[in-house]
Amino acid sequence: MRTRPLHPAAVLSSIAVLAIVVCCAGASEPARGVAVSAAAPAGQPAAQVPLPNKAGTLHFAVIGDNGNGDREQYEIGQQMANWYGRFEFPLVVMMGDNIYGSDRPQDFVRKFEAPYKFLLDKGVKFYASLGNHDSREQRFYKLFNMDGKLYYTFKAPKEDVRFFALETTYMDQDQLKWVEDELKKANEKWKIVFFHHPLYSSAGTHGSQLKLRAVLEPLFSQYNVSLVLNGHDHTYERIKPQGGIQYFVEGSSGQLRRGDLRKGSPLTAFGNDTTRTFMLMEIDGDNLTFNAIDMAGAVIDSGTITRRK
Amino acid sequence: MMRIIAGAVLAFALGCTPSADDLQRKQPPPVNANAAILSDFVKRVDAYVTLHKHVEASLPDLKNQTTPEAIDKHQRALEQLIRDARRDAKPGDLFTPAMQRLVRDLLRPIFSGKDGLQIKNEILDNEYKGQVKLVVNGRYPDEVPVSTVPPQVLAQLPKLPEELEYRFIQNNLILFDPHAHVIADYIARAF
Repeated sequence: MRTRPLHPAAVLSSIAVLAIVVCCAGASEPARGVAVSAAAPAGQPAAQVPLPNKAGTLHFAVIGDNGNGDREQYEIGQQMANWYGRFEFPLVVMMGDNIYGSDRPQDFVRKFEAPYKFLLDKGVKFYASLGNHDSREQRFYKLFNMDGKLYYTFKAPKEDVRFFALETTYMDQDQLKWVEDELKKANEKWKIVFFHHPLYSSAGTHGSQLKLRAVLEPLFSQYNVSLVLNGHDHTYERIKPQGGIQYFVEGSSGQLRRGDLRKGSPLTAFGNDTTRTFMLMEIDGDNLTFNAIDMAGAVIDSGTITRRK
Repeated sequence: MMRIIAGAVLAFALGCTPSADDLQRKQPPPVNANAAILSDFVKRVDAYVTLHKHVEASLPDLKNQTTPEAIDKHQRALEQLIRDARRDAKPGDLFTPAMQRLVRDLLRPIFSGKDGLQIKNEILDNEYKGQVKLVVNGRYPDEVPVSTVPPQVLAQLPKLPEELEYRFIQNNLILFDPHAHVIADYIARAF
């Protein structure tokens, strides 16, 4: 395990994390996986770890459960545009529930193209995974970059990173075999998997999807996945590393379920169920720095992850 | 097709392995009868898929990277063609009564097992509370999110071609045509 803080503030947060790990040793397993240098526990102000914003590194954003067309989705879109001005990111990964309810052509405009118009105009590419509210036909929508596939993989334009988008409302044997085959043959340093249903979540509405976890987690563990991104629960949650893997729930980029996170959950490293959020990430070699950002543009959680080796 | 049937029969046999006492009291499981039911189901599914492909072939190809207008136009045109082609469709056309009983038998060990409640919760999901009227050959209701189908449930059921999926609406098992957004058939109160 190796921790390399990128900012003096991270030293303080490392101490905080060390305290959490000591107190909650039974709830997480950081030993052979990602090393996390991160912010304060749930309910406490976070010591901010700024995004390094170095040239040549991979920048990307994360949104989930965003496509409701409500004012708050537009406000998050505006904050993403604001941040883009000082932290350009060429891609956004979407955790599903991209278009809630009706998905007639005008809905794609109101619930996707308009809220993120600034980014789309800048050429930012959105890569979607499908949620339980999404029509399967969204896979043909060119701005979701799924190339007609329910599950797919792509190599990031910078750094040694490969993303895997899964379709978890219907995890059949064909897809499981595909997941294993693709993870096995991928030789990138960073393997990042994103999909809708969280394997770990402290939210009361859905929570951890245990049956899905039973089939996916062993593959993630075996094939050296470092980071898993999910939505479905309308909260933001950074999970304590599980089996050496860092999990996030980012399901509040449009929807929000206030008060849904179970207080005192042993899974939670940091949680928020009071405001909408999105995430920005930067990968520089073996390190990934993350910021979770709220509707006011403020960083509510941040930290650094070192990939599994 | 034989692989599908064999897998489903094996799953059924494993799920219903009787105890020694049971063996003394009962006849062996009716594997041949179940194989015939599954074979009949696969034939019916194949016939549906043939029809689906036939009517879909009359539409322009949907490109892999296209516009919402093209997607919507294609989906609704396909829905209409399927509904017209199956205008006499009725419950039980695909899930025959025998298949309904077999599916319930296949699913019973899953839902009554130690993880049964957890699996039900993952399917039911508490997301949609309204009443839903299921109509064979009708459009899948736009306001109802598609259910999660846990992999352990899928492993118990005969594999389907991509033109059809198993989904749940509440505790009803739906045979869903995702390209056309049509309910091809359903089993009421599947668990």
